Amino acid sequence: MTAKRLRGIALLAISMVFLLAWAFPIIWSVMNSLKTDSDVLAYPPKLVFTPTWEAYRDVLFGSGSILPNLLSSVIISVGTTIVTMLMAVPAAYALARLRFRGKKFAGFYVLATQMLPPVGIIIPYFLVLRNIGWIDTYQGIILIYLSFSLPFAIWLLVSYFEDIPFEMEEAAYLDGASRLKTLWRIIIPQVRGGIAVTVVFVFLNAWNEFLFAVVLSGNTVRPVTVAMFNFVSVEQTLWAKLAAVSVLAMLPVVVLGVVAQKHIVKGLTVGAVKGGGRR
Amino acid sequence: MTPFKPTRRTLLKTGTAAAALATFGPGILRHASAQDADLAPYKSAQIDWQQVSGETITVAVIPASYFENLITLAPQFKALTGIDVRFEKIPPAQIRQKSVIDLTSKTGTYATHAADPMYYALYAANKWVEPLDTYLNDKALTDQAWFKLDDIIPAWRSANGIDGKLYGMPYDGEVTIQVYRKDLYDAKGLKPADTLEAYMANAAALNTPNDRVWGAALRGVAGAGQNMYIYPSLFREFGGDWMKGGKLSVNGPEAEGALAWYVDIMKKYAPTAAANWNWPDIADAFSQGTVASYIDAHSSASVVNNPEKSKVIGKVAYARWPKGPSGKRTTSIWNWGFPINSALPEKKRKATWLFIQWAASAETQARTAHKFAGPTKRSGVNRTSIWKDPDYIKLMSGFGDNFVEATMGALQDDTDVDWRPRVPQWPAIGDTMATAIQSALSGQATIKAALDDAQRRIEPMMRG
Repeated sequence: MTAKRLRGIALLAISMVFLLAWAFPIIWSVMNSLKTDSDVLAYPPKLVFTPTWEAYRDVLFGSGSILPNLLSSVIISVGTTIVTMLMAVPAAYALARLRFRGKKFAGFYVLATQMLPPVGIIIPYFLVLRNIGWIDTYQGIILIYLSFSLPFAIWLLVSYFEDIPFEMEEAAYLDGASRLKTLWRIIIPQVRGGIAVTVVFVFLNAWNEFLFAVVLSGNTVRPVTVAMFNFVSVEQTLWAKLAAVSVLAMLPVVVLGVVAQKHIVKGLTVGAVKGGGRR
Repeated sequence: MTPFKPTRRTLLKTGTAAAALATFGPGILRHASAQDADLAPYKSAQIDWQQVSGETITVAVIPASYFENLITLAPQFKALTGIDVRFEKIPPAQIRQKSVIDLTSKTGTYATHAADPMYYALYAANKWVEPLDTYLNDKALTDQAWFKLDDIIPAWRSANGIDGKLYGMPYDGEVTIQVYRKDLYDAKGLKPADTLEAYMANAAALNTPNDRVWGAALRGVAGAGQNMYIYPSLFREFGGDWMKGGKLSVNGPEAEGALAWYVDIMKKYAPTAAANWNWPDIADAFSQGTVASYIDAHSSASVVNNPEKSKVIGKVAYARWPKGPSGKRTTSIWNWGFPINSALPEKKRKATWLFIQWAASAETQARTAHKFAGPTKRSGVNRTSIWKDPDYIKLMSGFGDNFVEATMGALQDDTDVDWRPRVPQWPAIGDTMATAIQSALSGQATIKAALDDAQRRIEPMMRG
């Protein structure tokens, strides 16, 4: 009993250490966002302090309100996710199931676009968007985000599609269903978990993106990641406000994560083992 | 209680009050103030401000109070010229990247931007920006007697010029000075350092980490605008010459002496974390009372005197850079200037020049500084005449003992156009040097090895 119990305690202790390491930056941000600027800098760091909503009030309703930026981020992330999924699901299905000339090459080509370092393609992207007049527009940013979210989503989904037993499709064909109908009615419900995972990751990548956004956006389209950076000015870092914006920017992602958690865990394990879907 | 019934008289009264508020509270009633603003000081210039009325230009600036104040006044510019200005705020590191992309691709997105003086060599070599004398000498565009170019701080003008031609109009700038804790110095009977040697000795005398007070702090973090902002002053003070015999050289005994001093003070008397600090971090630490002295931009005075954060208000004093072994004091030479993008069509270039002329004029400089209605006044105005204006001096001396004297002395006597190597390859050279200095500061390389390695990396850049 004692040995087992000791092991239990040890495991708990170890997981607490990891949990703390993971949670610390977030707890710290939340605490700083509720402090005044002088409390943020206090030493030793104040664990007990009078919380104030001032930083939140300022970043939400002050002169440099980030509400338009949050809206920008939502439009970009939701737009990117929808367009990505509309294209990635059929594409992944095709790569997993269909036999067509150049399939191998197509698969590799999709992957190859992921091999370029993003910094190297910013300027070409800038020039392309500039020439079609799409700098600082939603369609421009979403188009560029597709270039990395689409290959990622396709390759993630292919593994899920490959796990579905072929027999299920055959059964549907025998009952007279068309290929599209089979895809919609039979296959997609089977990969729900995989789709949920992909949606979450595509959304997250778009939401957190900074490098492309800072170059390709302007005054009209300005996601929160870029706006946040302006709290680190040349003169001083506005810690409390920066923390408040970070917390606000984190919220939608956390909510999405909690809602989709069941699917994520399931989806990840299903995809992890080859043939895991077969019983 | 009588219900409020407006009569003609009370209406008139409130009307007057609103008008008064509009005039004196531009921060609150920005748009209302535009029409009422007194444009007479601008209209005395013998040019037609309205000549390209209806144009729209985009101006990229960094997020900083001195540009915020200018943005607040933009409605006055619109009323004066009929030109719409769209401001875009971009963080310092990205503004360089975005403006270079814009200039190389000749897209003309930014009519002008807050430019780093070290980039003019690159801009001019590629003809990306216009030489400003074309505009200065055009009588239809500039009233020279009104604008008074000579009044703009000469060091900043030469920093923004290549081969004697001005490419960017200085808007706001800074010099580096010693900032120290008067109370701590007095307690030990110390004086602000006159030489680097004395500065080191002061730091040693005040360094008591057990009481959470460190002797000194300098920017430690790697970056062309960070450690490579402090080091060039040391290099020049040790007698270094970037262009030895027409060849860029970054190693040698003077460089080694300068870097050794830098490493020494950071290792012995600065907080360990300062190796990763930029100046806002230094100013934050100083304002919390943990650093006895630092050498950095004079504009940091507003941070260490911010009543919401600082614990050292009233205990701060200033002095010029300590002298190096060469007997010289060398301040940084920094200003944000406005160039004109060559890719613009002619009318927009004219509109941009009118904007630059307005922003750099003595009147706008004063209205964004001591005459500004908002809480943050600028401390980096571009005009010698304003630095001598009693109202301005009164405002600035609120920052602490000797502030105006140290800053003015540095501006007049300690600036050095060759503070950093002014070559088109600067961006890459700045980064290489920053990495070299960091490897020495962190002890990864010896001083000599770090500098020799930097020299090896820089040589091919200068050939290519």
